[in-house]
Amino acid sequence: MELFRVENLSFRYPKAERDALQEINLSVQNGEFIVLCGASGCGKTTLLRLLKKELAPVGEKTGRILYAGAPQEALTNAGEIGFVQQNPESQIVTDKVWHELAFGLENMGLPTETIRRRVGEMASFFGMQGWFRQKTDALSGGQKQLLNLASVMVMQPKLLILDEPTGQLDPIAAADFIATLQKINRELGLTILLAEHRLEEVFPIADRVLVLENGRILLDDEPRKIGLRLSKLHCDHPIMLHALPGAVRIWQGLHIDDTCPLTVREGREFLERHFENRAETLPEPEVPRIGETAVELKNVWFRYEKDAPDVLRGVSAKVYRGEIFCMLGGNGVGKTTALNVLAGLDKPYRGKVLVGGKPIKDYKGGTLYRRGLALLPQNPETVFVKDTVRADLAEILEVMEIPRSEHAAQIEKIAEKLGIVHLLDRHPFDISGGEQQKSALAKVLLSEPKILLLDEPTKGIDAFAKSNLREILRKLKRDGMTIVLVTHDVEFAAETADRCAFVFDGEILSADPPQKFFAENSFYTTAANRMARGLWKNAVTCEQVIEGCRTTGGQL
Amino acid sequence: MKAFANMHPAVSMLYFLSVLLVCMFIPHPVLQAEALLGGALFCAALQKRGAALRDLGFYLPLFLMVAVVNPLFSHNGVTPLFFLNENPVTLEALLYGVSLAVMVIGVLLWCKAYNEIMTSDKFLYLFGKLIPKLSLVLSMALRFIPTYLRQSRRVSRAQKAMGLYAGKSITDRVKNRMRVLAAMISWSLENAMETSASMKARGYGKKGRTNFSLFRFRASDGVLLAICICLLAVPLIGAAVGITDFMYYPRVGVIQTTPAAIAVYAAFGTLSVLPFILEVKEAIVWNYSVSKI
Repeated sequence: MELFRVENLSFRYPKAERDALQEINLSVQNGEFIVLCGASGCGKTTLLRLLKKELAPVGEKTGRILYAGAPQEALTNAGEIGFVQQNPESQIVTDKVWHELAFGLENMGLPTETIRRRVGEMASFFGMQGWFRQKTDALSGGQKQLLNLASVMVMQPKLLILDEPTGQLDPIAAADFIATLQKINRELGLTILLAEHRLEEVFPIADRVLVLENGRILLDDEPRKIGLRLSKLHCDHPIMLHALPGAVRIWQGLHIDDTCPLTVREGREFLERHFENRAETLPEPEVPRIGETAVELKNVWFRYEKDAPDVLRGVSAKVYRGEIFCMLGGNGVGKTTALNVLAGLDKPYRGKVLVGGKPIKDYKGGTLYRRGLALLPQNPETVFVKDTVRADLAEILEVMEIPRSEHAAQIEKIAEKLGIVHLLDRHPFDISGGEQQKSALAKVLLSEPKILLLDEPTKGIDAFAKSNLREILRKLKRDGMTIVLVTHDVEFAAETADRCAFVFDGEILSADPPQKFFAENSFYTTAANRMARGLWKNAVTCEQVIEGCRTTGGQL
Repeated sequence: MKAFANMHPAVSMLYFLSVLLVCMFIPHPVLQAEALLGGALFCAALQKRGAALRDLGFYLPLFLMVAVVNPLFSHNGVTPLFFLNENPVTLEALLYGVSLAVMVIGVLLWCKAYNEIMTSDKFLYLFGKLIPKLSLVLSMALRFIPTYLRQSRRVSRAQKAMGLYAGKSITDRVKNRMRVLAAMISWSLENAMETSASMKARGYGKKGRTNFSLFRFRASDGVLLAICICLLAVPLIGAAVGITDFMYYPRVGVIQTTPAAIAVYAAFGTLSVLPFILEVKEAIVWNYSVSKI
């Protein structure tokens, strides 16, 4: 049965120069799992919001949207289409978990007994018994997003629309969330329309993939065919280059006539079918020459409160001048705390932190941060305090005591370097996650740091913005900057870092160049490495696997 | 110790109001003593042993102070005990002081128990019924405050780590506060937009909204409510017909011992120790059921 039908839909925001959506035609069948992808700003959010009439943006709309055969306006029950947004925090309305679950049902005016039963049913479906009576504030990010999903599900929707729901979650919570969506789709037969930029997990479970580009539907097909059709269109499409699952990218790079693999397992089988198992290692690039130490942690111990458990237990690490050092690890192992200690925000109760050979305590006032060390926090929006990006950048120049006559030129220079010239006069909260990231980085860089610390820089940004960030970091490194970053993102670390370190239980366990580092891990490694381990133990990125197949792989 | 706390909020509220009402507005020595006893027993049952003893260290001196202050300043009464600075200290004033102290401590103990039992969500539930929007607004406020505080801490740390006004001087600190506040206002507005989208998406704003709560009115709540009303009615009637009238000045009155008066004392006595009895019963039932496992 057809649930949704969109006919010739075009949409233009007030005062905009061009249409945000053009001639969209789309049909959604009951029970389908559809993934919508595209670079940020391609119109994903606009399209999704137009489908939910309560959230439809204001603007000029042409074309028709039919829900269950009738015009969308005829639908009166708001609960029939559930909508989950990106930010887990701001969607929660009330202070208690049970009250949040009941919120939608209260709005529908249901009696207490019905609400009690439905809330109980949903809480047990989602396994929320343990935190049912808790305060919403005490939940983790993943739990918050699960609560948002459950409080929509409790209204028994026929269609679930999700706008990048895993953008703010770490990979483990994100995978859990996607698995829950799959369960809802399989077990309840619920129709799901999901916008995502992390396709590794959702590609294999989707029935259909829609690729949106500049407000048009570029492709609408099943996942296996998307890879082929994309490469036929143009092979440098941003989605194709960076966002597709590793298996699809390797398949595309090799041009072999076989069905497109989607998962790691299929990818491995595909490689084994076509290439000989020589168990060779790929040549590794020379280990960069070890220079002077830029920052050093010496047996650092830290806890947040006197009676709280230790978060850092004797962390020791050296970061050399001019390298990109990456700290990896799961949730709550102390990565971010280690970074905050390095930044001088948290003070260890034992051990030493040396910046440029000098104890961090000896930097008084702002001297540590001016032309020294700077931290880009996890939430880039916390960096901005003014009404425009330009004003924010000017502010830091003021503090750096740069004469006012040079401000404009300096701002122009940094904006060009990071590609944010068109954003300078926008409000920092009105731009996308990736753009915010770059603007925040611009502000941080204006303090002319020698050491740059980044906390989860890839959180909430799409694949294209990610590769953009990687280029920027490499450029900064070439200019002599030392970069320390903390991330969950294994792929990003493999492609960016000079050395990777594994953090666990408050300690830094090992620090090696990425190829060596990931070759020794068997779970905590990139998808490409998991596929190609049998062929080359140290092939870590998709490019390396493709390169290996072409050069030393004996094709069967 | 959960028996009384698990009662329906309306019943608990009515109970606390009736005990406090009698204790404060019917100044009769027997009733006040009963209220004090009930309050003390209840508080002791709600707390751990150590905490109850520590409380004694606070209430005992307070009791003595209130009891002694009255006869020092009030010289009414006809039975002087001794003279202090040529002023008589009378038996009547002393007894009145003691009765005042009993009442004050009794009320304090009941207020403490009230705080323990009537948590914010119960209060919200009760008064949300009177003003439906209020309970949602308060719940949203309780949600917003910790989120706001966390974000403002994040912002000031982010600013510090960029070296912006990171100094310790007062001008730097004040400037920093102002900047963070400005940023937080935009953040709050932005956040509110997303929250309101989430509310609209879940059908907020339609007529006929109901208020859900986890509280249930069980049969045992009904029984307790009926008992409370009956037990409260007896002293109220007693007060109306003058059984509980009692005078300290000029001469201390007589405590009545007619059958009607005894009934009034017994009824209020039962009412004040009711929660304690419930707690003890619960403990016994629990121990018994544990012993069977």
